[in-house]
Amino acid sequence: MNKKRNAILTIISILLLALFLVYANNFLDIYVVRILNVCAIYTILGLSLNLVNGFTGLFSLGHAGFMAVGAYTTALLTMSPAVKKQIFYMAPLIKPLDAITLPFPAALIAGGVLAALAAYIIGAPTLRLKGDYLAIATLGFGEIIRVIFTNTQNITNGALGLKGIPATTNLWWSFGTAAFTLVVLMSLINSSYGRALKAIREDEIAAESMGVSLFFHKNLSFIIGAFFAGIGGGLLGNLLGTIDPKQFNFLFTFNILLIVVLGGMGSFTGTIISAFIITIANEVLRFLDESIDLGFIVFNGKLGLRAVVFSALLMVVVLFYSQGLMGTSEFSWDRLFDKSRWGRIFQRKPLEKGGTDQ
Amino acid sequence: MSLLDVENVTMQFGGLTAVKDFNLRLEKGEIVALIGPNGAGKTTAFNTITGVYKPTKGRITFKGKNITGLRPDQITRLGIARTFQNIRLFKDLSVLDNVLIANHVHIKSNFMEAVLKLPGYRKEERAMRQKSLMLLEKVGLADLKDEKSNSLPYGKQRRLEIARALATDPTVLLLDEPAAGMNPKEAEDLTHFIRQIRDEYNLTIFMIEHHMDVVMEISQRIYVLDYGVTIAHGSPVEIQNNQRVIEAYLGVEENA
Repeated sequence: MNKKRNAILTIISILLLALFLVYANNFLDIYVVRILNVCAIYTILGLSLNLVNGFTGLFSLGHAGFMAVGAYTTALLTMSPAVKKQIFYMAPLIKPLDAITLPFPAALIAGGVLAALAAYIIGAPTLRLKGDYLAIATLGFGEIIRVIFTNTQNITNGALGLKGIPATTNLWWSFGTAAFTLVVLMSLINSSYGRALKAIREDEIAAESMGVSLFFHKNLSFIIGAFFAGIGGGLLGNLLGTIDPKQFNFLFTFNILLIVVLGGMGSFTGTIISAFIITIANEVLRFLDESIDLGFIVFNGKLGLRAVVFSALLMVVVLFYSQGLMGTSEFSWDRLFDKSRWGRIFQRKPLEKGGTDQ
Repeated sequence: MSLLDVENVTMQFGGLTAVKDFNLRLEKGEIVALIGPNGAGKTTAFNTITGVYKPTKGRITFKGKNITGLRPDQITRLGIARTFQNIRLFKDLSVLDNVLIANHVHIKSNFMEAVLKLPGYRKEERAMRQKSLMLLEKVGLADLKDEKSNSLPYGKQRRLEIARALATDPTVLLLDEPAAGMNPKEAEDLTHFIRQIRDEYNLTIFMIEHHMDVVMEISQRIYVLDYGVTIAHGSPVEIQNNQRVIEAYLGVEENA
């Protein structure tokens, strides 16, 4: 009975979301639609980072690099030859790229594949490292990508960046891709391979002794994570219309990491919720960067005050609520309708069985 | 030819020789124990066999194949499973998941088939679940399958570790102090349990143990390590009467 109820609820939710998207597409103003797009794209990026950091326990900070690879690849493959000729005035674009134009989906996949390839190249040497060392190595890799992109004038147009990228990304693309990412990653995590990834997170030595090849599975997670990061980057580039290397600095990775930590390392649904919260809060708190006139007193806005709020939020989460919104559990209808659970939460009663509340 | 052959294995960490010229022969179906005072190098010997450490010198042959220097996961795939002295379960995962993970070593479907949930993978997943539940039944944890593994009491965590090791379909099972922290009654139960799984799964068992009751009762042969050197090797009766073993455990009497 619960199964049937859950299936019906799921279908209704999907239909409601689709209806909302139709409504948003037709009636909401461009500003709101754009924020929704960014929400969905950040969801994709958050999901892919959570696979690596939350589920496999690899503390990787090179995500901005993979996004950059995806964004540039997709952009270069979708821009028209005329536009390319116009913006590459310092040094002409290298040969086959200057004439190629691919359909958007093909370009997105190409971006994902190239990001995955970059992950394979960087993963083989760095994934032997553990903890903080891996974080620093991947952080360095992200910066290397950025510097390379700043200096390869005849491929990426250097610091000038790419302009006039066709604005193909719309709500259907962004939400569709986010849903696809969620389904694929959920399916992976709930398979035997996903269990192996979680085993690595829990205890590397035990996992290896139970026959889980660390090298293969860490690479698998890293490559799949990078693939979706590349696709997310591609969607972002074709949403913004312009990209330059500066955009993909460490702060970008930090933003995505904030989403993952706030949502719960090891919870995909938590990532989705927090991607929306962070992205929308980022817009709502925009007034902090501007002057505030309260009539009797005027606060001078400081650019970057929003970042302070988010940093403080991250500290609060890590100090007092280190599990994040969802911990390692996922949203489910059964959980939502579990009356005894709500009772426990509100009455602060201890858990009944097994003492899992440690 | 023996099932497992360890020849002159030496393990050095910098200037420290933890295990020196260790020799071990395991015949099919045997239960063999490794004993010795604390810090004698017993767990190090285990770790060289299972691939956690790469021996500095020597050669390890399993089923006629040289496995020296292979990675732990490769060695597990060939059929050597182990438990740990300080329990190393996947703490935040369920009891069932802990055993399921150990099944992963023999998976035939690739990850694409697993993500797409193709029929071949579904069949494998079903078989894995069935086998894991059967193993949990065997160790008496079937009704706790959905609990988090670190919420189990200590003794049950030990049994879960054995179930997890069995799920890799081993030929040789290495147990690192399976009776640690058990009272005499529990230790006795464990003795029966080890014999039972040996017979049922055609295992060869090599174990480190401090409980002398268990060791003397269950093992056919015993190796004794002291400061990394094998000081004795023989049947339980021989070991009990061996002067060097007594000295290693009780100390040497000062002769004026």
